[in-house]
Amino acid sequence: MRKPRNRLGAGLGAVVVGVIALAGCSSADEEEATPTTEAAQEPVRFAVETPDHLIPGNHFASYNIVEALWAPLVQLDENGDVSFLAAESVESDDAVTWTVTLRDGWTFHNGDPVTAQDYVDTWNYAAYAPNAWVNAGQLANIVGYDETSPLEGEPTAETLSGLTVVDDLTFTVELENPDRQYPLQLTIGQTALYPLPSEAFDDLEAFEADPIGNGPFKASSSWTPDAPLETVAYEDYAGPEPTVDAITFVPYIDTTVAYTDALAGEVDIVGIAAAQAQQARTDFPDHLYELDAPGVDFLGFNIEDPRFSDIRVRQAISMAIDREAINDAVFGGSQIPATSLTSPSMPGDPAGICGEYCEFDPEAAKALLDEAGGFEGTMEILFVANWGQEDLFEAIANQIRQNLGIEDVVPTPAADWAAFTDQVMSGDVNGPFRARWGALYPSQQNTLQAVYTAEGEGNFGAGGYSEPEVDALIAEANAAETAEASYEGYTAVQERILEDFPTIPLFGNRYLYVTSERIAGLHTVSGAPDLTQIQLAS
Amino acid sequence: MWIATSVLAVLLLFALFPAFFAGLFGNGDPRACDLAHSAEGPAPGHPFGYDLQGCDIWANSVYGAQSSITVGFLATAIALGIALTLGTLSGLGGRVVDWIVQRVTEVFLGFPFLLAAIVVLNTLGARNVWTVSLVLGVFGWPTMARLMRASVRSVRHSEYVLAARTMGLRLPRIIKRYVLPNAIQPVFVLATISIGMVIVAESTLTYLGIGLSSPAISWGLQIAAGSRIFQTAPHVLVLPSVMLALTVLSVVAIGEELRSAFDPRERR
Repeated sequence: MRKPRNRLGAGLGAVVVGVIALAGCSSADEEEATPTTEAAQEPVRFAVETPDHLIPGNHFASYNIVEALWAPLVQLDENGDVSFLAAESVESDDAVTWTVTLRDGWTFHNGDPVTAQDYVDTWNYAAYAPNAWVNAGQLANIVGYDETSPLEGEPTAETLSGLTVVDDLTFTVELENPDRQYPLQLTIGQTALYPLPSEAFDDLEAFEADPIGNGPFKASSSWTPDAPLETVAYEDYAGPEPTVDAITFVPYIDTTVAYTDALAGEVDIVGIAAAQAQQARTDFPDHLYELDAPGVDFLGFNIEDPRFSDIRVRQAISMAIDREAINDAVFGGSQIPATSLTSPSMPGDPAGICGEYCEFDPEAAKALLDEAGGFEGTMEILFVANWGQEDLFEAIANQIRQNLGIEDVVPTPAADWAAFTDQVMSGDVNGPFRARWGALYPSQQNTLQAVYTAEGEGNFGAGGYSEPEVDALIAEANAAETAEASYEGYTAVQERILEDFPTIPLFGNRYLYVTSERIAGLHTVSGAPDLTQIQLAS
Repeated sequence: MWIATSVLAVLLLFALFPAFFAGLFGNGDPRACDLAHSAEGPAPGHPFGYDLQGCDIWANSVYGAQSSITVGFLATAIALGIALTLGTLSGLGGRVVDWIVQRVTEVFLGFPFLLAAIVVLNTLGARNVWTVSLVLGVFGWPTMARLMRASVRSVRHSEYVLAARTMGLRLPRIIKRYVLPNAIQPVFVLATISIGMVIVAESTLTYLGIGLSSPAISWGLQIAAGSRIFQTAPHVLVLPSVMLALTVLSVVAIGEELRSAFDPRERR
């Protein structure tokens, strides 16, 4: 139920901060160069949700920026296979003890080499509960996390006992539970695993104003939340050279303003909501990018509620929803009707595993509901008001009402996210409710573990569903010999969960971006644009 | 005048017999929606086309008259009731009563109307025709109450009231028989005009997502839904907006007409 990385803020009134002069990013000596020198490239202007923090381990809403300033250990190639970036290798025989070997020659933006010690220090700092870093949970499976961040009481250790520095470029990570997917956890979305230079810990506040990363872009202006942040390509970056020279991140409170600015060419890249797809197709015929993302939309239930405890009722509702038609009408065809519990872009996603129960079949749905004894009373479909989802839930309600012949099916907005979670957590719901999970790393493991196990962060989205057999199957899949074997394991997990059908899968996500005429191509990492691969129009 | 009256009469008929009028073109069920026709233009049997959900726009607009007009009249009736009571009390009562009522009126007048409505509707949870009317009524009476007070004051010392007092009639009877009938006219006129204002306020609140909510069928909801896709399907917005504008216009026109009819300075 994590906010999607690009969820569009609902606030009104933008602080379009006084435009900073688009200072050329070339160094001064270039000005004296001969006229043949190519003119300095204008920075690409990227509209972002107002960033909250620039510490990778301690931010909610600054993904785009920290992903530009830092580089992950592991990345995925175009086929979704693991390839390495800052790491040379991440290896393990038993899926428990992982050896991370760093590539030589990587430096922070201040020139210091990136060492194994930097990683271990940063992870230790993040995992230590009194530091209260919000993304600390990304380290939870490392041995010793229970001591540095116990569920209750004071921490009994300051550092993770599972981390060991071997030499300058090597460290080992010992996991609590075996996990074959561990390298995928080291990809770009898990920002708490980025390294900070040692000087950061002297004064984190000052560090945040002038952040120093190991990534393709370095900050060339100091940061304040409401002002644009200028970055330029880091000249000593050891990874593949970025295709653009400079990116300026422009904060917006209201993305509709950013959308208009993109139309006017004031900003170059803007993330938009799926519901805007239809309009964007008209406004940006050649500049709408639909990037496969690791998120899924689904409907959850309070399975204790006797009206919904019969699996046939939930299956009937699922079959009564015409996902294709809703996708076309509401999302302009930009999302992917779900056929499994995970996003189709996840490696090994078992497409079609949901079978007939995710296919639109009003007659069968009605028959199944009648078999289960029908439905009495009012069904309320709970969602969050002002998130631009009114049309979606109206459409779902219409379909359930018409196709199942239930008189009162009411899309019911909760006033805000807090009110929504309160209602869902307390079981105070009269029908299916909105649920979504955006995975931070491209592995089915993340979605399945977060939503369908009792410890998962997103478990309330599945109405608190948990099942010992599912837990066991997940553990088994995590511990598989190879990545391929683990995919088979997750397929078994999905099969087992679908036997209980606790949720109704709706859509696999695509995140949408519109760009100005200047941009000719965007590539994606996990739904976000790959900032090192922006193609400029010539 | 007769134009406004006949327009309003037609809309009232819509509100009273929606099923008949909605069915004029053969597709009268506002909840029969087919996403396959989402946001399509006019088609046989669907003269105004379909909205985003694939529902018939004509049927929805006709049914929308019901809730909008109900809210308009109900909220105004509530406001009028409060205004008459407090206005009379203040106009006839002693100094202390008058002072208290006046201060209360000022407090309500000082409330930013929209803010108050937002806060109350958000706390109420249930948002249907009744709660929205109640909120609009409860925050809509102060001006009318002031007018009522002034009006009552102007008749309280008139000869027929004094005569009634001298005859020893009881206060309730005096109020009912002599004060109200003579003081109520200007307030009535204002109330007529305020029906239009209330309908607009309901649509505004609904548009902002805090007024009526689905499954209610209301012009505000239709306008909100239409405005979200205005650039790709402008026709969705047209009919409910026109109906809303016509209603408000005719009610206000009738109010104006009444006002000038009762205004001695404009009488010939």
